[in-house]
Amino acid sequence: MKHLFLPLILLILLVLESTATSLIPVQWLLADIQPIPHWILIFSIIITIFFDQDHTIYGLVYAVIFGFLIDFTYTDILGVYMFTYGLTLFIILGLKKLLHPNFIVTLLLTVVGICFADHLIYVMYFMIGYADMTWMSYLNDRLIPTLLTNMLFLLITYPIFRQRLEKWADEQFST
Amino acid sequence: MWSFLRKRALIIILISIILLVSLIGFSIRDRDDVSLPEELLKDTIGAVQSIFQVPIDFVGGIFEDVSELTNTFEENQVLKSRLSEYKDLLYDVKALEKENKELRALLEKKDSDILESYNLIDATVNARSPEPMWMQQLSINKGKQHGVRANMAVITANGMIGKVKTAYQFTSDVQLLSGFDRNNRISALVQSNGEKENQQDVFGLIEGYDEEKEALILTIQSTDKEISKGQLVVSSGMGGVFPRGLIIGEIESVEMDSYGLTKVAYVKSAADLYDINHVMVVDRNMNSPESDQSEEEES
Repeated sequence: MKHLFLPLILLILLVLESTATSLIPVQWLLADIQPIPHWILIFSIIITIFFDQDHTIYGLVYAVIFGFLIDFTYTDILGVYMFTYGLTLFIILGLKKLLHPNFIVTLLLTVVGICFADHLIYVMYFMIGYADMTWMSYLNDRLIPTLLTNMLFLLITYPIFRQRLEKWADEQFST
Repeated sequence: MWSFLRKRALIIILISIILLVSLIGFSIRDRDDVSLPEELLKDTIGAVQSIFQVPIDFVGGIFEDVSELTNTFEENQVLKSRLSEYKDLLYDVKALEKENKELRALLEKKDSDILESYNLIDATVNARSPEPMWMQQLSINKGKQHGVRANMAVITANGMIGKVKTAYQFTSDVQLLSGFDRNNRISALVQSNGEKENQQDVFGLIEGYDEEKEALILTIQSTDKEISKGQLVVSSGMGGVFPRGLIIGEIESVEMDSYGLTKVAYVKSAADLYDINHVMVVDRNMNSPESDQSEEEES
């Protein structure tokens, strides 16, 4: 039963991402400011840091699966989020081994992860022809609001889930 | 050992890039038919979304009600003063409608012969894409089982907001007007407002959306016709799927295009494209070319 907790939380986040989008003030959208919720990515990073052991890759697998679901439900191009989230989590997996798991490291890895993932998404949509903004306006209108709003999400989720994830990991991997 | 791991990681990344390119290639081409696993997955997620949508709508509704209460009094005053006008108008419309029906009966025209007639399918918005700028897309909670088909027009009470992109069994995806490009044009017409006698309806095509001006681009072939700001733009029904007379918006400005061959008008959409909760899917009564084709295949 406990095995289902993580996918269930991720599924709820997937649905709530679109709800959050409808709560963005219209004035922001009219001013072209577009904060993108990368909650699945952030939660996968937290899973990787606090749940995964040295030999497991739950965070990466969940990121790929739910990245695909984001592609499928919310965009009409399959594969962009899936590939981006997968590659980002792969890099985070490498960086995790060098650093101690604490709040500052989580914050740092999340910032790096979001910057990398969102840039990759921008480049890919740019090549396909969906995004036609310059890099400077991308930086101002999209990346910075995205980073700020997602930091807010991290500040809320981190205290709630850190202890729990470690507890679940103990229960799951000690047996 | 380490070099072997490195090599394996490299191979996995290469394979996933190939997978990515093929997936993009698979999804970027226009597909009309949706496969069964796609429908199942989409409808499952749609069901989860609609479960979450109920409490959120409820809370949001309370806030909206409170903010609306504050200016109810002023609105009431204005509406009362308009009420008498509407009564006269209603009488006129009734009389004209009756006359119209009698004349149509004389000509022996059925409902399905009239471009203007359509049925409405009510729907609620399930989700909006978290990519608000690059993917102008909504999903609604009605699908093929309720009679929704691809390419049908989608409207709100104020005017047109887009068209159905893909219809699944119980949900469907809607492409918003602001996401339109050359691949999905709408045949539109600029209504004469009757101020000048020689003014006629002007036909044109909605060819896309100008993000800087936040207006739809309407190209008009006949350059000699006069168009002025504030004229109403409605769908013409000539495109094959939309009925005639759906309100799209009103003209904001008119320019000649860079070659001087066609006129370009910018149309401000009548409906609010950012705040959408309840929509109606327009099913027109006259047969559209696509359904004609399928009927021919059956027979």
